Amino acid sequence: MVPRELLPIIVVLITLYLVVIAFSYWGVHRIKRGVYAKDTEIKRRLYELAILKEIADRTVYSLNIKKILDVIVGSLNQFLEYSVVSYMLLEPSKVVFKADLERSVSISFIKDIRTRMLGSLSALLGRDLSAVEVEETITGAIMMGVTEEPVRSYFNIPLVIGDQLVGVLTVSHTKAGLYKESEMEILYKIVNQASQAVSKLEDVVKTEQGKIAAMLESMLEGVVMTDLDYRVIAANPAAEAVIGYKGEGVPTIFNFIDAFNESLDIRSKLEEAIKLDKVLTINEVIFNNKYYQVVVSPVKSNIGLTRGQTLGGVIILHDVTHEKEAEKMRNDFTSMIVHELRSPLGNIKKIGEMMRSSKILEDKQASSEYVSMLYESSSSMLDLVNDLLDVAKLEAGKFSVEKSSVDIKEILSERMKFFEATARDAGINMNLIVAEGVPNSVSVDAKRITQVLNNLFSNALIYTLKGGTVTAICFLHKKGQTISDEALAVSAPWVSDSMSLDTTILPDSVVVAVTDTGEGITSENIEKLFNKFTQFASSTRDSEHKGTGLGLVIVKGIIDAHGGVVGVGSKLKSGSTFYFTIPL
Amino acid sequence: MIKKILIIDDDKIFSKILRDGLIAGGEGKYEVIAAFDGEEGFDVAIREKPDLIMLDMMMPKVTGIEFLRRYRKEESGKDTPVIVETQLSDLEKMSEGVELGVRGYIIKSDYSLDTILRQVEDILK
Repeated sequence: MVPRELLPIIVVLITLYLVVIAFSYWGVHRIKRGVYAKDTEIKRRLYELAILKEIADRTVYSLNIKKILDVIVGSLNQFLEYSVVSYMLLEPSKVVFKADLERSVSISFIKDIRTRMLGSLSALLGRDLSAVEVEETITGAIMMGVTEEPVRSYFNIPLVIGDQLVGVLTVSHTKAGLYKESEMEILYKIVNQASQAVSKLEDVVKTEQGKIAAMLESMLEGVVMTDLDYRVIAANPAAEAVIGYKGEGVPTIFNFIDAFNESLDIRSKLEEAIKLDKVLTINEVIFNNKYYQVVVSPVKSNIGLTRGQTLGGVIILHDVTHEKEAEKMRNDFTSMIVHELRSPLGNIKKIGEMMRSSKILEDKQASSEYVSMLYESSSSMLDLVNDLLDVAKLEAGKFSVEKSSVDIKEILSERMKFFEATARDAGINMNLIVAEGVPNSVSVDAKRITQVLNNLFSNALIYTLKGGTVTAICFLHKKGQTISDEALAVSAPWVSDSMSLDTTILPDSVVVAVTDTGEGITSENIEKLFNKFTQFASSTRDSEHKGTGLGLVIVKGIIDAHGGVVGVGSKLKSGSTFYFTIPL
Repeated sequence: MIKKILIIDDDKIFSKILRDGLIAGGEGKYEVIAAFDGEEGFDVAIREKPDLIMLDMMMPKVTGIEFLRRYRKEESGKDTPVIVETQLSDLEKMSEGVELGVRGYIIKSDYSLDTILRQVEDILK
């Protein structure tokens, strides 16, 4: 038996035991509940993440907000209970309303949420939308007139893209008490993520569009893009410049068709390119005195569902005038050389024929005439061939000079004497001015310098009229002085440099010049003097001294090889000075 | 009747050979005069009223085509037959020559005096 006095203690202990058990049971339960709650929470989170990921995956390549919303609407029933999910989107001229019925609801239910959504959109925008046209699409379960259950639960989320309100998304239910703000976190997240995706993509697209626009703007080629109906979508400034378009905004295709009217049928070329799906290249379109290469090509999509589809056409206008001119210059040059070589050759042949067949050989005077004609023809050919070889050497960089110590003054006076006979025949005076201090020995290629002087003297004599004067000048140049001042100091006739050469920087040199009192050269022609393709010979050269104009090209090459410079000064109707320097 | 032929050519050697050839080959039928550029040629043509002109195309100052354009506007130059001296490579550029009433061509680097004589004879008949 348990002693009586122990009974209360036992009772207390039992009570304590019971209390402990009760407490522990409660505690375990609590823990269990907590664990369960946590488990649910984690499951919910994982689920949220899965959905977010799925939506993100589906939305990231789609720019269209409607498509994104359709994706959201399509996957929402997996974690949210509702009768109807709907969205309303703002478009420039209307409002798009789309409702997806999870279960059948009445027509008035739809009407109700529609009114509510329009109301909240108006409120968010601060603008009355009641008069705006609403484009309505209902999908999912059927609407039934019999169920008259009203909207008892309703939740609205604004859709914001890049800080701009574009619409609202709504879930609604005939059951009451759903959609507490705290429970709608996932919906917020989904919508948020979708909006962010769209904003980001819009940024990317804007940047890309900006890049493409900048590229188009800076292109030298004219670029015109059209859609399938030949409407101009974009035209860069170069394209506008080609047709001289000065209007506001993008020019229309008619601006281009009209402008190219005579030169090219742009419309039919576009049609051909798009219909036959091929790139057309039209060379040599002459338009406004310029040559264009025109490329017309279909434009195809290379992204998304439209990949490979033709979206329109592009016209590229490439100005090839410069290339054409260069080509013409080369051709002119070649045909001139051919002419210059053929004429004497043809003559040589004919002289031989004449001497063989007719009685010329019996006439002493006639035969000596024919012999000198033979000599003239063959030497003019040889001169030309030598000139061509020199130019070829210059261009190949294989032109070299063999320098030795010579008296350049002597070469100059010797050449003077050589040309004096020609000058006398033409009624032209010749003078020689040699200043003090020119050294007796300069290191040059005597043969080449003779060639240079031949060119300068014969040119001067060609362009000087009867009664005129050709003066050869030789003096010293000191670094820091200008050559024209130094020439004036020795009272030499001098036409100041037209090539705006800074002669003060030239080292101490011997200057040799030939000044004539001829017709002078225009500044435009001076620029062409030393270019083998652009010599102005054919139009101005005297008939007796026709040539290829290669002389000065070679002169420059020879002087360059000596480390000197060639300069020209000319004044129309009064004369020219050609000079060269040989550094000491 | 002696026919007057004017050669307008800046190539003096060619001009002389042609002249000698025409005189020798024509056996006294032709009087041959020469001018050495288009400008001089124009003055001589107006002054001398030749029966035939042998015209070089590639000349300084006034080219053959320029000469023809001017000459055809003159009363005395309207119908005067012209034989053009040119290079084979320039033949394609000669379409304007046809419009300007060119009657014949001589390819300068490859001519035969006999052919020229026949051509001249045909035209002056």
